[in-house]
Amino acid sequence: MDSISIRGLCGIYAAMLYAYPRDFRRQYGAEMQQVFRDRCREQSGASWLAFSGSTAMDWIASVIRERRAASLAVSAQMGAGRKLIQEWAVTLLLFLFVTTTMVQAYVVPTGSMENNILIGDHMLVDKVGFSNTGNNWTSYVLPTRQVKRGDIIAFRFPEDVRQTFVKRVIGLPGDRIHLQNKRVIRNGQPLDEPYAQHVTSYIDDDRDNFPTAAAPAAFAHQVQDGDVIVPPDMLFVLGDNRDDSLDSRYWGFVPRDYIVGKPLVIYWSYDGSTKDFETWNIAHLEDVALHFFTKTRWSRTLTTP
Amino acid sequence: MPKPAPAANLLPLTPPVFHILLALADEERHGYGIMQDVARQTNDALQLGPGTLYGCLKRMLTAGLVEESDERPDTELDDERRRYYRMTDLGRGVVRAEAHRLAEAVIAARARLGLAGGK
Repeated sequence: MDSISIRGLCGIYAAMLYAYPRDFRRQYGAEMQQVFRDRCREQSGASWLAFSGSTAMDWIASVIRERRAASLAVSAQMGAGRKLIQEWAVTLLLFLFVTTTMVQAYVVPTGSMENNILIGDHMLVDKVGFSNTGNNWTSYVLPTRQVKRGDIIAFRFPEDVRQTFVKRVIGLPGDRIHLQNKRVIRNGQPLDEPYAQHVTSYIDDDRDNFPTAAAPAAFAHQVQDGDVIVPPDMLFVLGDNRDDSLDSRYWGFVPRDYIVGKPLVIYWSYDGSTKDFETWNIAHLEDVALHFFTKTRWSRTLTTP
Repeated sequence: MPKPAPAANLLPLTPPVFHILLALADEERHGYGIMQDVARQTNDALQLGPGTLYGCLKRMLTAGLVEESDERPDTELDDERRRYYRMTDLGRGVVRAEAHRLAEAVIAARARLGLAGGK
């Protein structure tokens, strides 16, 4: 890992130190950062995962230990409740910050990305990884990179920004794209797409050939010699479940700024139907309570889509 | 600093504290040096994170097992100044007592479990 990324990680670690009691942090914070940086320099390739895991465990365990020690040391003049809130306020704020700014949890209600993302996958989306579009300050803290062809992204649905969709990036700005009998042809080259699946064998002209007369008006000025040309700052996305996916073919491009992030990890995958995950209903809660162990897809837990 | 407690009251030591003391037995070290030495002692079985390491050092300082030495740079790593830690006489006594206690425990275990010595 290069020195810029190490500096970024050290920035995160410096922020994490605020979870410790103030006195402890003032006394040892600087040294702990030094040690963390030294350890970062030792790591390479495969050892990063184990290193981040053990650092996170160390952080959680020692924050709890030091906070408990600090609250025992504080004299009992304050009420227990108030003391507890004071001691944990910073930690709570930090957790809230992380869960709103850096990651967000989503559940997938539709099967348009099968068989890579299933109905009922509950996932955390990394909201920082692709954030180097504008002058977003977080890009100075965490490693970021440009969106590539083939990336799975979560984004706001351009026709209703309240909905978040997950699809795969097929075309970047400037790419020339058309579909011929289910086959995607990008810049003149047919794509080999091991991730895509086709659930029907017949050819539906509006679906499997693109662009056609039925293509949305958004494409009208972007078609040249039978290819759609992706405009600047736009992306062309398709679902992996190609025959059953509402994607760029039907509603147009995704503006670069509409990207929410990239799926980071599936933390829970539960076998259910679309309506269970679109709206809360009692029947679904009951179903989870009764069948949690049998209908949870354990093999998907903690996998990356 | 409170009056140091007699060695016996501090036993048994937790594994991190025991290995940190061993790391300081022959020389003064800074935090990262201690961490590396503990990993060496235990064949990487015990990897101290920064939080665990400095939490232990804080308590060991309070108990008088270690003391801060001067601050100086480690020329091998970089030019930044680092705080070094040194074992006190009390610390040496405590780690000896702990090693003795562990040895007794091992002898007892071998006798009961029928293990040959050295295995």
